[in-house]
Amino acid sequence: MKSYDVISTRANRIDTPDKATGKAVFVDDITLPGMLYGALLQSPHAHAKILSIDTSEAEKLPGVKAVITAKEAGQVKYGVSPARYDETVFAVDRVRYVGDEIAAVAATRLDIALEAVSRIQVEYEVLPAVFTVEDAVKDGAPQLHDEFKGNLCAEVHQEFGNVAEGLENSDIVITTEMKSKRQDGAFIEMQGCIAEYDNRGVLTLTSSTQVPHYVQRTVAMVLGMDVGKVRVKKPYVGAGFGIKAAANPMELACCMLARKTKKPVKMNFTREQVFMYGRARHRFHHTITTGAKKDGTLMALKHECWLDGGAYTSFGIATVYYTGSLLGGPYKLANMSYDGYRVYNNKPACGAQRGHGAVIARACFEQQLDMIAEKIGMDPLELRIKNMMETGDTTCNDLNMSSFGMAECIEAVRNGSDWDKKKGHMPPGKGIGMACGFFVSGAGYPIYRSDTFHGTVIVKLTEDGGTALVYTASAEIGQGSDTAFAMIAAEALGIPLENVRLASGDTDMGVDLGAYSSRQTLMTGHATKEAAENVRRQVLEVLAEQLNVAVEKMDIRNGFIEFDGDTPDFSTLRTRYIKEHRGWTDNPDSDKLTFKEASRIAFLERGSIVGTGKYKPHSLGGKFKGAAVGTSPAYGCSAQVAEVTVDMDTGQITIDKITDAHDCGKAINMTSVEGQMEGSISMGIGEAMHEEVIFDNQGRVLNDDLAEYKIVTTMDMPRVKTIVVESDEPNGPFGAKEVGEGAIMPTIPAILNAVYDAAGVRVYELPLTPERVFHAIQEYRERNKATA
Amino acid sequence: MLLPKFEFHEPESIEKALALKKQLNSGARFLAGGTDLLVYLKKKIVSTDHVISLQRIDGLGEIQENESNLFIGACTTMAAISRHPAVLKRFCALKSGADNMGTHLIRNRATIGGNVCNASPAGDTLPALLVYDAVALVESPDGKREIPLTDFFKGPGKTDLKNDDILTGFRLPYPPDHSGAHYIQLGKRKSAEINVVNAASFLTCEPGTSNILSARIALGSVAPTPIRAPEAEAALMGRTAGDDTFNAAAETARFKDCSPIDDFRGSAAYRRAMVGVLTKRTLAEAFDQARA
Repeated sequence: MKSYDVISTRANRIDTPDKATGKAVFVDDITLPGMLYGALLQSPHAHAKILSIDTSEAEKLPGVKAVITAKEAGQVKYGVSPARYDETVFAVDRVRYVGDEIAAVAATRLDIALEAVSRIQVEYEVLPAVFTVEDAVKDGAPQLHDEFKGNLCAEVHQEFGNVAEGLENSDIVITTEMKSKRQDGAFIEMQGCIAEYDNRGVLTLTSSTQVPHYVQRTVAMVLGMDVGKVRVKKPYVGAGFGIKAAANPMELACCMLARKTKKPVKMNFTREQVFMYGRARHRFHHTITTGAKKDGTLMALKHECWLDGGAYTSFGIATVYYTGSLLGGPYKLANMSYDGYRVYNNKPACGAQRGHGAVIARACFEQQLDMIAEKIGMDPLELRIKNMMETGDTTCNDLNMSSFGMAECIEAVRNGSDWDKKKGHMPPGKGIGMACGFFVSGAGYPIYRSDTFHGTVIVKLTEDGGTALVYTASAEIGQGSDTAFAMIAAEALGIPLENVRLASGDTDMGVDLGAYSSRQTLMTGHATKEAAENVRRQVLEVLAEQLNVAVEKMDIRNGFIEFDGDTPDFSTLRTRYIKEHRGWTDNPDSDKLTFKEASRIAFLERGSIVGTGKYKPHSLGGKFKGAAVGTSPAYGCSAQVAEVTVDMDTGQITIDKITDAHDCGKAINMTSVEGQMEGSISMGIGEAMHEEVIFDNQGRVLNDDLAEYKIVTTMDMPRVKTIVVESDEPNGPFGAKEVGEGAIMPTIPAILNAVYDAAGVRVYELPLTPERVFHAIQEYRERNKATA
Repeated sequence: MLLPKFEFHEPESIEKALALKKQLNSGARFLAGGTDLLVYLKKKIVSTDHVISLQRIDGLGEIQENESNLFIGACTTMAAISRHPAVLKRFCALKSGADNMGTHLIRNRATIGGNVCNASPAGDTLPALLVYDAVALVESPDGKREIPLTDFFKGPGKTDLKNDDILTGFRLPYPPDHSGAHYIQLGKRKSAEINVVNAASFLTCEPGTSNILSARIALGSVAPTPIRAPEAEAALMGRTAGDDTFNAAAETARFKDCSPIDDFRGSAAYRRAMVGVLTKRTLAEAFDQARA
């Protein structure tokens, strides 16, 4: 086992002091001289033709500096996947959901901008609207996009192996459905941005985003500018969870207003607009059939899913593929088929959210594993162990598990929860359940087709010596990536964490695809490691020349140069260093040559010491259509055990405890890994228990605030026992892989399985509100009465 | 969404507040904690050019222990109610209601007067105030008057207050010995919740026996206003406390006293069923206290 000095510790996060003292700067903290405030006009109708737009009254209002509509903005189509660009910044002749953007105003004050928006006259012809998957696919249903007949945004049909044969050869075949509800990411910081357009024609957008790189490309494309003239940077960001993983129309409108007025323009979503804009987890309706042998061997999985997509595609193409592909593991399964359909309707678009596409599929499937186990009289935990993939295995849809501590995770939660003592022995109303899951450590391919590196990093040593500066375009959005990369740089270079300074989240610093698909630790981490090693080698090369010692005979650790065998006489170097620093208080007097001295000498010999690093995955995946979605250089995996109490009279569920084991490869920062595990569980509990975006019959969100959209409070959060399982991922930097999304996979099914154990009821629709559970218990009692 | 502009007034006496209100006509709104009013103004559910704060008026934020009753000023915050020794000692169901409302930040601002004037059928402190037989104290240019809380609520957001009235506080008679009370709220999550159903019960027993001398039950979110459950109360009077009696009262409350509707927080059927469960549970807990 390699020993490490910086990674795999519980380092204090480098952003904590600023965040704890309120010094951390978010978009809304920024004010610039001469800054204007922007506001959007958004459709009050779910579906309508725009007959005319009159902005003259708005323009007359004193303080208004610009009003723009589709006329000024143009009709460049954009979206997430180039295969499906179906949005324009402003509605051209039709609005498709309540909130569809029609115009934007910039004014000297926000209240003036809002007043101006209210003075824009739009003449609508209201069209029939459609709000559900079922209604949208009916004959004669209102059509959203002329190019996509029947409101079918995308469909996927895949079969691996022979499912019919697999089911025929099964002793037990189980079919169930699972319905979920549309989610909201409910991040703390609403989207916000500031655009500036300078005298040399450079546009700088400061935005609360997860993906400066993609936003840069979209802004350049939609505004018809050179990518090189567009700079996107992010200050501190109050989370995103996937919703901020693409350019939004406010960012684009803001850029247009800044270019038009030549003044900085600031725009923010209100919480209501966050809900109106949507782009969080789809509503899924799964039907899954699973076949197994009497001994528990899984034989085949047949899967159909309908996704409630909303008015535009957003991430939907990827979502509908992920929904199928991520059931390929973590169990050995030779036969799997998938038919997925994503359907347009007149609600805000859905997109990506933590555990992209795969969370509800797993909630359905992992319940079936428990049903199979019950039928054959097997411990559900044993059933999972029996079918578990192992390191090196490849799924039927060509996903390779280059490291896979799944069995270790199961054993960890078995022991951590005292499963063997509790399972089957819980008192009435109390139950225990478990589930497993896995997730990508970064999408194998960029969203647009390209040979681009997925991440580049620059490490530069300060000329005085001793400090490493790390520049990365990656996005710290609260998850701890800045700290992770500073730790990786420190480890690779051989210096203490405090001697690393890091700047991130700026497209001027390089290419980084950003914070989505749990990619940064592995991908940006690789690039950081390579850049730091490059710098390290340069320093050692200079030392080799100066001391006449081979590079291979030297190492840098904890800020000191270590020599194999005898330490050579380095007094000349030290004298040279000290001579240049007369009067300084911190001249070295250690027995060992310091990195500070060595890096100063390196500068004196070679000039500024700069190293670059880069990463892109090797070629991944199969040859079939959609094979790219689900590929990754590595997969994290996890097992969870939930313990619950069900109030049999009210249907209220209390989650008493969750035991969670996650294989994240090598943990870079142990505390941050646990934080991601707990955060994932919190989000999973919210979706399982009470989160749902509710619409009225006009397509308006009824619960567009955090009073009525019910995320988990501290009172709802159970005790969580986190167990970090460390495998050594060959494709990860220092063996590291993901934890940010995989950790949510088992949460919902573990709870569902525990509820069954406690109350005897299977619930096939989320969330588990007291009312839904109460009705399930009533039905169960009626059924038992009837059979008794 | 910005708070619209309005003129803000901070009178230091009831008289000045009443005079201001008269002078500004019906358009002015009184403000206590502001946790409802400011949201309504922001969302344009309410509009006004004048807001009259009641927070600087002496005595409105106080709790006084009188000989036979407790006075709670209308501007007393939930947080202050929940930690006041007299409330802890004698009015535990009210403490539960105050504790369950909103979040810490809301409870530090929101007032009991505001909770009552907002007249939400789901209001957190209302079932407890109803079972403690609270009386609302009102002042107007015509003088002072008292309104029993049972007569106070007229519909969702509607009260018996006239335009010129100021609610100054509440009088809660001290519960006699051998009595107990309990409040339960039921929502989708464990805190910061808007109730799907809430209920409070109050019982007084004959000393040394389980005979029920008086019983009051109040229910929230199952009618246009928070309500008392007279049929269920009648079913308890003079009976011997116990599971059977409580079950019968719960069934009466469920089928005779409430008239819930379906909305996005819950269905009428579920609310009705929960009236039964919560009535039974609050009665059982109130009885345990009465017996202790």
